[in-house]
Amino acid sequence: MRGSSRVTGELAAVELSATIRGVRYRFASVKEVLARANPPKSGDDLAGVSARDAVERVAARAVLAGLTLEQLRMSPVIPYEEDALTRLVEDTLDDQAYRAVAHLSVGQFREWLLETSTTGATLRAVAPGLTPEMAAAVCKLMSNLDLMTVGAKCEVVVRANNTLGLAGRLSSRVQPNHPTDDVEGILASAREGLAYGCGDAVIGVNPATDAPASTAAILTALDELLERNGVPTQHCVLSHITTQLKALELGCPMDLMFQSVAGSEAANAAFGISVGLLDEAWATMKERGTARGPNVMYFETGQGSALSSGGHHGADQVTLEARAYGLARRYKPFLVNTVVGFIGPEYLEDGPQISRAALEDHFMGKLLGLPMGCDACFTYHASMSQDELESLKVLLGAAGCTYLMSLPVGDDIMLNYQSTSFHDIPTVRRLLGKRAAPEFDAWLAERGIADGPVPGPRFGDVEVLR
Amino acid sequence: MSLTRALMAKLRDQLAGAEAMPPPPPMPAIEAPPSRVFPTRRAQDRRTQQHTTALLGIGHVGTRYATDVVLQFQAELAVAHEAVAAELPEGWAEQHGLIPVRSRVADHREFLLRPDLGRRLDDASVARLRERALQDVDVQIILADGLSAVACEGAGLALVEAMEQACLARGLRVGARVGARFARVWLEDEIGQLTNAKVAAILLGERPGLGTGDGLSAYLVYGPKVGNTDGDRNMMSNIHARGMPPADAGVRLAALAAAMIAQRTSGVTLDLAKVDAPIERGYRAPQVRQRLVERP
Repeated sequence: MRGSSRVTGELAAVELSATIRGVRYRFASVKEVLARANPPKSGDDLAGVSARDAVERVAARAVLAGLTLEQLRMSPVIPYEEDALTRLVEDTLDDQAYRAVAHLSVGQFREWLLETSTTGATLRAVAPGLTPEMAAAVCKLMSNLDLMTVGAKCEVVVRANNTLGLAGRLSSRVQPNHPTDDVEGILASAREGLAYGCGDAVIGVNPATDAPASTAAILTALDELLERNGVPTQHCVLSHITTQLKALELGCPMDLMFQSVAGSEAANAAFGISVGLLDEAWATMKERGTARGPNVMYFETGQGSALSSGGHHGADQVTLEARAYGLARRYKPFLVNTVVGFIGPEYLEDGPQISRAALEDHFMGKLLGLPMGCDACFTYHASMSQDELESLKVLLGAAGCTYLMSLPVGDDIMLNYQSTSFHDIPTVRRLLGKRAAPEFDAWLAERGIADGPVPGPRFGDVEVLR
Repeated sequence: MSLTRALMAKLRDQLAGAEAMPPPPPMPAIEAPPSRVFPTRRAQDRRTQQHTTALLGIGHVGTRYATDVVLQFQAELAVAHEAVAAELPEGWAEQHGLIPVRSRVADHREFLLRPDLGRRLDDASVARLRERALQDVDVQIILADGLSAVACEGAGLALVEAMEQACLARGLRVGARVGARFARVWLEDEIGQLTNAKVAAILLGERPGLGTGDGLSAYLVYGPKVGNTDGDRNMMSNIHARGMPPADAGVRLAALAAAMIAQRTSGVTLDLAKVDAPIERGYRAPQVRQRLVERP
């Protein structure tokens, strides 16, 4: 219970106010300051926590800039007594790393992050001392280019069967979903993705039916495909974690175990998970997972998920998203990605909001030490154009995003939304001079699919694969 | 003058009026690229297409799409966006013999941004239902716009008719038809509660996918009341001519409603093995892809 007495109370003694053009703006709590400092998001409007207008938003940022990281640690958006995630973060925070930055104000922390002399190695050393609220707070003071600048500096390298997150690399998940889990159909999409140089992060299938037998059947088929062709990557079926545990009992291969996570104990309960269940799943994977590791877990997140299950506790969606990363980092995951535009316009209304959220999530995840990827996507009822989505992929690549998704023409025929395509990954790699993960990059060269960032003679030819 | 500036000045003097780039080489006529028509007609691709409707085998130009693929994709995107933007015409429900109701949503943008308002009836609709709807029914059928008014206007009435007839054939008492505007799924709770229905069934346009703006989904709940959640419901999606035809869907939905009444429950606790029609929780028929752009 170390520190419990320090994180329960609000900062009663601190005056949370700022004056702009002679008008004094007062805020009731740090939680309110964090929410009102957010750039406009339809989900914060829906939750009723956003700033009244642009000036109040700046006033909230001015207050936030003056708070120290220590004050943020003392004011989690959900009290220690009420939430298992708050307790997890507080009880496992690295004291030495924390003490290095505790005295900085959020404004000073932003400047320190942006300094040229602050390197990836330094950021890596500080990460275990940061709480999610600190990452969210500094995020609110940063512009898109600020977020990209620091995101690109962070170094988070992970290893399962191959190595992700090295400098100059851009990886991708092949997402060969199928509306009826037809294994031949799934394999056809997976083969095509590999032929375009995609799939070094994972071949990951969202199943239409959440059942142990079909999960095991898909994993077995993917395992044979990767084995037959000597592809140095990982496989995963994104059914519920309890379903995957049952599938393991059936004796199937499983390189990575997946779960969606959110930023509060209540929201995770709505997903049917708890810290205890995730601990059990992680322990099982360390024993029975088929990847070499040591990183064997895969998590997905997304702004708005806590509100959609009523587990938001009046906090804003950026802070809650950071708290999901606070949970994820316990499990030293191989993959974490925000599914940024999937949740719909009631949380992220349009292209600017979706793009901003993607860069925020990537930055916060990396700052907290996670190998952050992004499903840059939109549903067809959000106001985002295909051109805006294509631009976002380049922004994420430039920001050092670990991986993007990849599907045939970006079209998910099961989940009905628009994401990244098999063609987009090699395009962005070539534009930015990035390569696939080194083991996979060597495989691509050997098969003639690609020569580093340049397409090879067999590029796009599925007959390269057996 | 700094050393660097001096060096630059000297360099410019040496280059005098030279162009920054040499003149381009003479250009012969460019050979027209081979025809790339989507979908391809190779035997291997046809085999693949039996297993998936994913856009495979479309080839590439550099790392990008051929022109025909781009046009087909943009047409599919336009169909989806058109379906989302469509609204039911004023008076549509009344013209088709439905009791017109609407949610608390004021306009289309608010409908997309405020699901909470789309789940509750406005005061006039509550009064109208009290006045005109049948009470104490077995099944209350509601046709609604949801996220595609195009789908609602398309196969909506055919689905209502099919489900109603199948319910009547089973001896179920069916409520007066209701037509809802700016409706989310959970609006069925308040409507079913007001008509004291055992089962409420909302049939509404589903979120469009690429090239598919005409799909309907059906959500059924036993004991409709404000406060029910998704776990209390059973659903069927992709109801349209190229997926699950409305006539088939109506029969299956009536069987589902009858099973809910027999078991006095719905959602996760409903035993689907005892439904006397092929149905799963969340069944989705495969989609057939249409070629949208025809060029001479």
